[in-house]
Amino acid sequence: MSTVISPPGGGTTVAIHEQPHVPQPKQVGKPGGFLRRTNFLTAVISGIVLAAIFYFVTVAIVNKVTGGGQQDDLSLPDGLQAEIAMMYIGWVIGFMAGIGAFAGPIRWFLGNDLTHADAEYMSGKDMGREKYWKYTTDHKVVGIQYFIVMMVLFGVGGLLAMLIRTELGITWAEVFNPNFYNSLIGTHGIVMIIAMIIAVTGPLGNFIMPLMVGARDMAFPRLNALSIWLLVAAIPPLISNLFMGGIRDGWTVYQPLADQSPVGMIGYQITIIVFAFSTGIASVNLITTIVAMRAKGMTWSRVPIFIYGILGSAIMGLIWFPMYQYSQILALSDRVLQTSFFTPASGGSVWLYENLFWLLGHPEVYVIVLPATAALLELMPVFLRKPLFSYKLAIAGIFGIVGLSAVVWVHHMYMTGWAPASNYPFMLSTELISIPFSFLVLVMLGTMWRGAPWTKLPMMAVYAVIWNKVIGGITGVYLSDTPVDQYMHGSMFVVAHFHFMLMGAGLFGAMAAIAYWFPKMINRYLDERIASIGFWTAFVGFQITFFAMFVAGLQGMPRRVLQFDSLFNVANWVSTIGAYIIGTGMLIFLYAIITSWRGGELAPGNPWGAHTLEAQTETPVPHENFPVLPVVTSDPYDYGVPDPYELADDDAIREAEGVAKVGA
Amino acid sequence: MSTEITEPLSPTTGEPVSTTSRRDRLGVWLIIASCTTGTVSLLIAYSYLWSLNVNNAWAPTEGSANWAADWPFWAIAGGMVIGTLLIWRGYGALKKGNVGAMKSMALISTLILLACFIGQIFQIATFPFGPQDGAYASATLWLALANCIWLSLAFFFTQALFNRARRGRLTPDNPSHAQFVAMFLTYLCVAALLSAVFTLVMKDSPNTNSPTFGTFQQ
Repeated sequence: MSTVISPPGGGTTVAIHEQPHVPQPKQVGKPGGFLRRTNFLTAVISGIVLAAIFYFVTVAIVNKVTGGGQQDDLSLPDGLQAEIAMMYIGWVIGFMAGIGAFAGPIRWFLGNDLTHADAEYMSGKDMGREKYWKYTTDHKVVGIQYFIVMMVLFGVGGLLAMLIRTELGITWAEVFNPNFYNSLIGTHGIVMIIAMIIAVTGPLGNFIMPLMVGARDMAFPRLNALSIWLLVAAIPPLISNLFMGGIRDGWTVYQPLADQSPVGMIGYQITIIVFAFSTGIASVNLITTIVAMRAKGMTWSRVPIFIYGILGSAIMGLIWFPMYQYSQILALSDRVLQTSFFTPASGGSVWLYENLFWLLGHPEVYVIVLPATAALLELMPVFLRKPLFSYKLAIAGIFGIVGLSAVVWVHHMYMTGWAPASNYPFMLSTELISIPFSFLVLVMLGTMWRGAPWTKLPMMAVYAVIWNKVIGGITGVYLSDTPVDQYMHGSMFVVAHFHFMLMGAGLFGAMAAIAYWFPKMINRYLDERIASIGFWTAFVGFQITFFAMFVAGLQGMPRRVLQFDSLFNVANWVSTIGAYIIGTGMLIFLYAIITSWRGGELAPGNPWGAHTLEAQTETPVPHENFPVLPVVTSDPYDYGVPDPYELADDDAIREAEGVAKVGA
Repeated sequence: MSTEITEPLSPTTGEPVSTTSRRDRLGVWLIIASCTTGTVSLLIAYSYLWSLNVNNAWAPTEGSANWAADWPFWAIAGGMVIGTLLIWRGYGALKKGNVGAMKSMALISTLILLACFIGQIFQIATFPFGPQDGAYASATLWLALANCIWLSLAFFFTQALFNRARRGRLTPDNPSHAQFVAMFLTYLCVAALLSAVFTLVMKDSPNTNSPTFGTFQQ
């Protein structure tokens, strides 16, 4: 993408450092104020203190109301429900207060607006590594924070996956007791879902997207910090469920089983409620930044396809996440307040839960897969040095998926008995969504056609993802058929299918995207050799694990079982061996990330010769991203199309206007 | 070449306030869109349970005499509408240069919304049923609780408008925060009115032959 530099003050956005004369509110104290004293440590302390206060106060109130007859066994569904719920709520409020999240709203309430110096302090300017532990508003810092949190979540979820596969692989003995095994399944599921949702839109949506649209920061920097720290606050309640009876009902936590689960379920519910706030806020920020902060000249037909992927994902997150959030609010209410939303005995309906849950539960797949796919579409023209095949078809595919995602949720409920007459219309809509998905695969194949790929890891990963996506997609079409689903429902075949989509397309796509943008984010190349070994080891292990799981499913093995017939032994042994290969591959990939981060080869500003705006600024990215805001003058994928500046061949002009000479 | 910028600039980013306002307005619309989905979830829950009447347990256990009174819903929603109209009026006056009117309207609106908030808590405390008394009780309780949460937010926003107007942060050439609060309050009014309509119209379940699913107890 060619860029020219706007005249000073000529853009709609004016650089901070160019406006020293802007009248400032009165500076009270040092810049940053209260936030100078807050960080992750103060947040944890404050969270623990408030959690303890909430817990003991609730214990006192409940004892007073019930006369002290409260069941305090945490392994039982009715043990200390209100107390645990209030403890988690106290933790979240205390943590957010301790990190400084309430300082901004309170200042606004009192009419004390931020000064320029306050804003600079909050953005972490000249702060060093300390800024990563604070309520820092700079999008680059938030992107790195998301990156770290994502890796931690994948680490936890991956470890739980290993434990699950260990149990299933050791067919001659029982490693865990059944309740703990069920908890492993449920916790693994939801941890991985959260990690996958943030895998691309978290680190790359925050770090790369504003650079790519030519903005100085996200539209709402303080909301950006709020979204990441809400996510951090949401994690301890989720993990702690393992010590409070666990989540025994899978990540879907169907009612009324969830209502009868131990109090660990409350951790799940609080986590989802808080995470939904985090996602909603992040979605508002992403959409507003894309719609309102694009560089001059970046019309909708010049917006990079990765941005469209982020936009589509954010729209779905914004609209559908509240449904999931309310399903958990009402479920928590059923537990703690004894209401009857999902309890049939007193007028509730489990179908209501399933509808609310799957209204987000299925679009969430596209929330995960869309940005990862769009990232691959973004990097392919760079490594093939040719334009993206049918850019408009790709956009149609993305928004076709966004639109149809609203009318597919019932395919998760074919077998529940809810409105059987709706099965066939939803079967049709589910099969229809494979068409826009195919658009995206077609654009990938078209872009590859007669291309000479630069065989770097990000590009090679595209082949892996296409394979996974085709397998996941085709098996998905089978499962969307009601007659087939009657047989396959609840089997290991379903588990293998959604892992091919979520992990095969989502996670492997995210790994490719991380490999591509790692030099821009970290200022160093990702070690190509070690990362490739890790990636392909994980890929091979992935095929072994989940093809064996397809076989187990076709043989009739149900999911979420600890003990099974010896008929399924071989498939499970193979699957477990594959899982350990995945684990090894992922550890190698993680090793590549850590060693490259610490001492990898330094990367230039535009390591791959890309035309998009993020590649036109230097690395490490300056605090305000661009010296002056860029103006876009051409299409994003005009590889092979002569650049007007190249044609002019006037180095003096180019040099004067600061336009990088990029390869065609 | 430099461009003459006559309108006020944002102290934090240096951009013209019209630029930041446009951006913020889009953000408020998106937040409203997201909140709307949440409200729709509650209304779906209410109407769905009303239509199913599972185990014949929609109505409060004591029978139809225990429906919640209608008038508090309408009184609270009416109060919210008046509070919202005042903020819109204050915003209009502010744009014309009358900061004093904005202050007065924000203060009166705050008091009205505070009264609504207290009324909402009173209504919840005096419902003729407990949360465990069937699906109607649950759904109605949560419509009222949601209203309560919205009202506390509304109170925070309007009081903030008063504080900001008093501190000179709301000016005729930078009135956007008043508009954002008015927009959000309008959404809250719609949510409160919908709750009132649902609780008024959907009392006795149309399903007199209700399905029985057993107790699902362990």
